[in-house]
Amino acid sequence: MIPLLILSPLILLAAIGAVWMARPVHAALMLALTLALVAVLYLALGAEFIGLVQFAVYVGAVAVLIVFSLLITRPGDEAEEIERRPRSLVTGLLCTLPVMAVLAYTAASGSNIKLIPWQPKLSIAELGEVLFTSHAPAVLALAVLLTAVLIGAALFAREPDKTQDDSSEK
Amino acid sequence: MNLFAAISTEPALWSPEWLPRLPQRLVEMLLGFLGAPEWLVSIAGFLVAAGTVVGVFLGGFALLSLIERKTLARIQNRIGPNRAGWFGILQPVADGIKMLTKEDIVPAKAEKFLHLLAPILIVVPAILALGVIPYGREWTPVSLELGLLFFFAVGSLTELSVFIAGWASGSKFPMLGAMRAISQMVSYELPLIISALGVVMVSGTLSLPLIVEQQGGFHLGFIPAWNLFTPWGFFAGILFFICSIAEANRCPFDLPEGESEIVAGHMTEYSGFKYALFFMGEYLGLFAISALGITLFLGGWQAPLPGLGFLPSWIWFFGKLAIVIFMFLWIRGTYPRVRIDQLMRFAWLCMIPMALLTLPAAGIWTILNRDGHGFLAWAITVPLLLIPCVIVTVIFNRRLASANRTYRFAE
Repeated sequence: MIPLLILSPLILLAAIGAVWMARPVHAALMLALTLALVAVLYLALGAEFIGLVQFAVYVGAVAVLIVFSLLITRPGDEAEEIERRPRSLVTGLLCTLPVMAVLAYTAASGSNIKLIPWQPKLSIAELGEVLFTSHAPAVLALAVLLTAVLIGAALFAREPDKTQDDSSEK
Repeated sequence: MNLFAAISTEPALWSPEWLPRLPQRLVEMLLGFLGAPEWLVSIAGFLVAAGTVVGVFLGGFALLSLIERKTLARIQNRIGPNRAGWFGILQPVADGIKMLTKEDIVPAKAEKFLHLLAPILIVVPAILALGVIPYGREWTPVSLELGLLFFFAVGSLTELSVFIAGWASGSKFPMLGAMRAISQMVSYELPLIISALGVVMVSGTLSLPLIVEQQGGFHLGFIPAWNLFTPWGFFAGILFFICSIAEANRCPFDLPEGESEIVAGHMTEYSGFKYALFFMGEYLGLFAISALGITLFLGGWQAPLPGLGFLPSWIWFFGKLAIVIFMFLWIRGTYPRVRIDQLMRFAWLCMIPMALLTLPAAGIWTILNRDGHGFLAWAITVPLLLIPCVIVTVIFNRRLASANRTYRFAE
């Protein structure tokens, strides 16, 4: 309970920072901080494997995200971003409303929330076995989706007019 | 929290095997004698254990900075540092004083806070990673069940800190260096982790001390049962070594800080002690990745020949570390820097396919050996790895490495 009480305000602050920062790199770094703090929460809750995976995957992913955010945005976008802020705030709140409503409803109805009884720790071998036997279709679907995204990204990144000289591309 | 599994073996306090952990034991005994509460004793013990590791490797860093310059000088037919003390032995001290007394300049256009944060963030993951390595039979500073995963998790922080350094400097060359660093490290981290996965498949654990213990014993009475001396382990070990050169940003893969191209990459706008921190982080990272390679493929603290077990196990570990570090220096003195397109092509067309191939090879090896078909295991895995390796090398040399590069901005 104590780690939750300490960490959740920090996570919230970092998450708010991630959407509030005007410069994209700052926002991405705040996102990295948020995800790292969530990883710390997992560790504190005793889910060591998922915590370390969260850290390994997302901190690395954020590094790549920053590169993209730099490549996509123009310098000088910040002023425009700050100008847009009141409108973005309204839109953001409107988008959050349904989620909040569902959460409030669940919390209010109360009866269907049960504290999960403490279970013996799942070993990594068991986790892997479950993942690649009973949940194999989901894993495969995700793999196909990610491959499609990768191919799509490569298509977008290619310059359209250079078609014959493929070998010189990176 | 059972993340920090306590080291359970009872001490034979004065044996050489226990020497590296002697400070920790002494502090614990002293505090226990003075009647300190239990939590204080264990915290002090952890701090002293961490201090031992940091102390050993900071000493190693100082020594290596001298040895590197001496070795490179020998390779390049120079003398190297020889003014400070006998054989230049005081050169690291002189360097340290110079770094400490230099003015710390922060560029006007820099992001002040991030500019300060980056050098700190680059040292932290290296030290954290050093904490989970089993240095000896009785000397694993923190024995984690998920040690290997922990190593790679904290290692992914390095990329971010290099990028922060490059971006926060607010200048061209650091930015270019950071972009290069990200593309290089992301590309080479993939084969690095995949080649380490084969070891996990075979030993069935992520705990580094257990991985070392499983490499004990000898084949035919004299060949050590290290992972390097299996077909898949040989290939995976070489891939791991190449990738660790790239991860440590060392020549021939030192493009992020190639001084003849982009000044010093992400370190260009740093001076004084912050620069020294980058230097330190780089060397500690080099120690960490070499130590991991030794743990995974070279049998960690296991002695290389039977009958040599009378020496304390950590001596063997540091002997192997010295040899691997020397290989890094040798390669730095011998090979020219590659071009960025060659670097990326090499990663995606050679390293990743070969690393992926070591996984089925490791699987076949394990299953056949478990069923007692030792000869069949050799007969299948060696061609499975060797033939694609030859094909990839030939194709890479003939068609791709010699492909003309189109220069967009410089004709």
